[in-house]
Amino acid sequence: MTTPGSPSAHIVVTGLGLVTSAGIGAEATWKGVCAGLSPAARNPQLAGLPVDISCTVPGFSAREHVGRRSSLAHDRFSQLCITAAREAVADAGLDPRAWDGARVGVVVGCGLGGVATWETQHRRMLEKGPEAVSALLIPMLVPNMAAGHLAMDLHARGPNLVTATACASGATAIGTALQLLRDGSCDVVVAGGAEAGVSPLMVTGFAQMGALSRRLDEPSAASRPFDADRDGFVIGEGSGMLVLERAADAQARRARVRARIAGYGASADAYHMTAPDPEGTGVLQALRTALSGAGVMPEEVDHVNAHGTSTPLNDAAEGKVLRKLLGEGVAVTSTKGVTGHTLGAAGAIEAALTVLTVENGTIPPTANLERQDPEIELDIVAGPPRERKVEVAVSNSFGFGGQNAVLVITAA
Amino acid sequence: MYGRLVDLLVDRFEVDRAEIGPDTTFEDLDMDSLFLVELLLVIHSDFGVSVSDDAASPGDTITQVADLIERLASAEAPA
Repeated sequence: MTTPGSPSAHIVVTGLGLVTSAGIGAEATWKGVCAGLSPAARNPQLAGLPVDISCTVPGFSAREHVGRRSSLAHDRFSQLCITAAREAVADAGLDPRAWDGARVGVVVGCGLGGVATWETQHRRMLEKGPEAVSALLIPMLVPNMAAGHLAMDLHARGPNLVTATACASGATAIGTALQLLRDGSCDVVVAGGAEAGVSPLMVTGFAQMGALSRRLDEPSAASRPFDADRDGFVIGEGSGMLVLERAADAQARRARVRARIAGYGASADAYHMTAPDPEGTGVLQALRTALSGAGVMPEEVDHVNAHGTSTPLNDAAEGKVLRKLLGEGVAVTSTKGVTGHTLGAAGAIEAALTVLTVENGTIPPTANLERQDPEIELDIVAGPPRERKVEVAVSNSFGFGGQNAVLVITAA
Repeated sequence: MYGRLVDLLVDRFEVDRAEIGPDTTFEDLDMDSLFLVELLLVIHSDFGVSVSDDAASPGDTITQVADLIERLASAEAPA
């Protein structure tokens, strides 16, 4: 073991796994995101509701991907999480049967938990009485269970926790993992986010808030971050998981280093339950903390994977902050045009996509950007992916509640 | 009752019919105590038979639990 407990230890990504509406697996997701085509579609399970469009994971079979036991006893958010985490660990070249599990931590960001299970069981209780309620309701519902299942699946007996900062949860999880590695609590942390909130009640709740796009007759054009005609987000589901280690440990075992998590900044707007602070004070603070932790100047940032939800308020406020701090030269994209907004998983999915961006020197485009909002004076990547060397990238995540999490990801 | 229990395991718990024999235990099917509680709840709602969760354990065979349900069902049936 090397350099535990160093507050400035370099933390690297040695593995990643993705399950999104763009595909199952990091490769399928990356390909889909770079193609820039939104898979959003009308969802028969939401038929008759005010908003019935979503981005769901295509062809996910719980039985096939996680096995019979899990297909019955786990909510979908846990199943997506296990699938992404297994991919990440295999990608890192690690074998959970061989590692010292006491030194392996798990941090999973999750905004909602097993809400679809909750809804189904609530309906059963109302229709058939309390005796029809499943004994598995609570273990399927609680949001910490994805992390609990990963502990069992990966023999990871170190610190095991779930972060809940709404739509920033996945980024908060990775930032928390950074701290667990730097303070020496763990040698390996499997960190990311998972969410499966495409349920009738949750989608309707977001619709009632006015947060969702109403472009129901044209679902594949509904998620259009930074576009002048954006009118809300499209709800998605998925999981992104990363394997993080101290650079010295990764080097010692000759692991492939995919990128470095160089900085993390967290802050709160302390402004409003759901609306972003138009001055962006909290976001600016998180950005500055993350950059200074990474030891980079704002002008050194090549690329931002924006929070970019496609809501009128978020994109305007975020655009303003990015312009103010980073100038107009930085190449900005929002991958939510393709993945939809995966809530608690988004920060982790986007961190993983940012790792791939840095690694490949390819910036994926923002889907559906046809006419950029003239108020957003930034270089938003649209059309084909942009080939460009990216040394320093930022991934932004902001949650309802005013929680902000910013990651700085740099080339290995 | 054995046949009905097997059907239930196949239809509701995604067990392969080929995996099940009279001497198969619930443990053999990866069904732990929590699954067994769930199974007993489903048996109650589908068969109308109440089996208390301390009356069966994951180490029991399908035949043993089928016999137990049978006994309880006939005891509960109106004379």
